[in-house]
Amino acid sequence: MPTVRLREAAEYPPEAQRLFELSKAWFNHDFGQPPAMSRVMAWDPEFGGPHGRAMKRAMSPGEFTRAEKEMVAAAVSGASACEY
Amino acid sequence: MTGDAVWYEAAQVVGITNALNVAADALGALGMVEEADAPPETRALFAEIRAFYESPEVPPAFRLIAHDPAYAADVWAAARRAYADNRLSRRVKEALAFAVSLTTRSGTGTAFHLGEMRRLGVGSRGIMEIVGVTQMFSSYTKIADTLQLEPDMGDLAPEDPTPAPGGPTR
Repeated sequence: MPTVRLREAAEYPPEAQRLFELSKAWFNHDFGQPPAMSRVMAWDPEFGGPHGRAMKRAMSPGEFTRAEKEMVAAAVSGASACEY
Repeated sequence: MTGDAVWYEAAQVVGITNALNVAADALGALGMVEEADAPPETRALFAEIRAFYESPEVPPAFRLIAHDPAYAADVWAAARRAYADNRLSRRVKEALAFAVSLTTRSGTGTAFHLGEMRRLGVGSRGIMEIVGVTQMFSSYTKIADTLQLEPDMGDLAPEDPTPAPGGPTR
């Protein structure tokens, strides 16, 4: 169980709602509620904004495809024993 | 990159990379097997490993576990299968191994797989791409762990209905 109460999307200010829209577009998936991580990162847009931009820059196609990078991300999560 | 087969391959790379790094980083006290003193089966094994990596050197992990030649041969057979071109290219597999080594702070593994990525044609931009993905997801995983977030993105990809290799269709 999370150590914090994850707020519903509606509890966030307009600035954070924009981050949810970006997240939806990034995953090309209509979540019922934004994923928990998106809501965590939207708590402080001054942190979540640049962190998300760095992630998108890292994940964008380059020498490796987005799909290959998603696999690298999964490997990093596996090596970190992170269930999320 | 659809279907489960590529994920099985990726998991093999993550597992065997970690296994090799455990030996390479922590087994130094055991001492490396010197090829000149090794029995014929170990010399043959080392020759095969050098050919696979197109390198005059045998990676330290194999020289450390070669004190038991039969064990080393089996570990190598699994490693060769995991790292070889298959549905995932060797280039992508080395990127996975590099990311795992970096994540687990394996200096030996990081240096080795960085060298392999370069040998297989990955440029400095590509290397920084993998560094970026590794670093950002090291951040996300720690944030998720700290807040004990529960997985909620499992339905992003469809289930793969195909059977195990060689198995009957259900």
